[in-house]
Amino acid sequence: MSTAARAHGAHAYASPYVAGAGLGVVLLASYVLAGRGIGATGAFAVVAANTMNAASPAIVQSNAWLAERATGPILRDWLVVEVIGVVIGGFISAALAGRLRLGVDRGPRLGIAARVAIAALGGAVMGFGAVFARGCTSGQALTGGALLSAGSWLFVLGAFGAGYLTMFFARRAWT
Amino acid sequence: MIAPFTDSSIIVAGIVGIGFGFALERAGLGSAPKLAGQFTLTDFTVFKVMFTAIVVAMLGAFWASRLGLLDLARVYVPETFLAPQLIGGAVFGVGFALAGLCPGTSCVSAATGRGDGLAVVLGFLAGVAGTAALLPMLQSFYLSTPRGTLLLPDVLGVPYGVVVLAVAAVAGAGFAVAERIEAHAARRRA
Amino acid sequence: MRARVIAAAIAALLAIGAAFAGSPEPHAGSKAKIRALADEIEHESDHVTALELAEWIRQRRPDLRVIDVRADSEYAAYHIPTAERIPLTTLATANFDPRSTVVLYSEGGAHAAQGWVLLRTAGVRNVFFLRGGILDWMDDVMNPVVSSDLTRYFGGTARTGAVPLPGGATQVVARMRRRSC
Repeated sequence: MSTAARAHGAHAYASPYVAGAGLGVVLLASYVLAGRGIGATGAFAVVAANTMNAASPAIVQSNAWLAERATGPILRDWLVVEVIGVVIGGFISAALAGRLRLGVDRGPRLGIAARVAIAALGGAVMGFGAVFARGCTSGQALTGGALLSAGSWLFVLGAFGAGYLTMFFARRAWT
Repeated sequence: MIAPFTDSSIIVAGIVGIGFGFALERAGLGSAPKLAGQFTLTDFTVFKVMFTAIVVAMLGAFWASRLGLLDLARVYVPETFLAPQLIGGAVFGVGFALAGLCPGTSCVSAATGRGDGLAVVLGFLAGVAGTAALLPMLQSFYLSTPRGTLLLPDVLGVPYGVVVLAVAAVAGAGFAVAERIEAHAARRRA
Repeated sequence: MRARVIAAAIAALLAIGAAFAGSPEPHAGSKAKIRALADEIEHESDHVTALELAEWIRQRRPDLRVIDVRADSEYAAYHIPTAERIPLTTLATANFDPRSTVVLYSEGGAHAAQGWVLLRTAGVRNVFFLRGGILDWMDDVMNPVVSSDLTRYFGGTARTGAVPLPGGATQVVARMRRRSC
């Protein structure tokens, strides 16, 4: 954490091993209490499907993937409620640690506009990948990984392999 | 009656989510530069958090099942689609390195007031929506190489517990290497 | 730092123990195993319906193995398409690829359900039995009240009274309609 941030009264981050263990316990609790793990992509998919259905039902009705996800109220979807929880949990932790701050995190070479644009682009690219991979780091790497699903580990290999390769060319965005 | 209690209420989803988001932010994974450090090989927090979580959940699930407390057969395991998950994963990785956040951490980042986090959230939503709209044209790839529920022990032809040990060993070795690299980078900065 | 070492030691012990234990399923014959099996039965994850099986067969799932546990003569008279015949006595010692999905069926389902317990105890993971047996297959797929595309796929017809079976074995059907074990 930067000295500037610490000067603002922000606490140091927790040990990644301790936070990871906590996350592992949460994941295990999810398996035990709900018979399923965590995720994020599905929640976005449900929101996207319902939004598109409201805007233009024709697109959704002719698209099985969207139609499957546009059934029922958004707030009754397990993952949507879970992701709302993620937002709340993140907020609480930051509030307790003095890390709430309006701003744009970015590498030293990027201006705000460039950072926001690249962030949105990166998000869109992840969206494309996540649909085919049936999930993201939460649902595939963590949930599927801990349950030894072969496809989930393939996702991990693909994602981190491509991530390192990309950063080789894009490191000026962050360093 | 043993776990999982699949008719548990949706409140469990909320509590799990809160725990998830809290743990991520505690580790600093709500800050894109920190996550990006994983791909620039300067900050291994992402690796440490992910693999500690995987090992804890994996060991917990194995032993809970072995002791008859958890019916693993009733825990939902994502199905395997070899090509889409490998290639989709790669595409995802490109976006991840650019954004410095994944969908889950982008929610945390946005929740703590970061505009770039919000940008990733909205970009991800648009990406999912756009891809979904194009899916009918890409359907054959989307559905290709299905393998149903396929676990590593079956692929490798070794017992489940052996794979558990292997994953834990890889994680442990990875942690040792990560500490070395981070210490080296810290010395170089000093 | 000490805490980290202790945690790592515990994790290592659990991981090594897992490797020696091998399977995450409770030890065969243990109370835990019996409870786990009972739990699966209660949660109905032990069987499939005739319509579900018909759909799986139609999808030509490469991992699917349909097993008929009835007598040779009954199998010869009529069996579910793609089914192989394996009697219960041989079933217990048969080897199934862990990646395959095994579906057992008998006339009414009881023998197949018993075969399910045998295979699950032997450690086979993806095994189900056909609820209602071949009687339900006839009722729901081959000769249902209302014909479905599954019926047409398997060459059956909706119920009008007479039941045309491939090979014309109407006598077999007459006997089968009397529900037994």
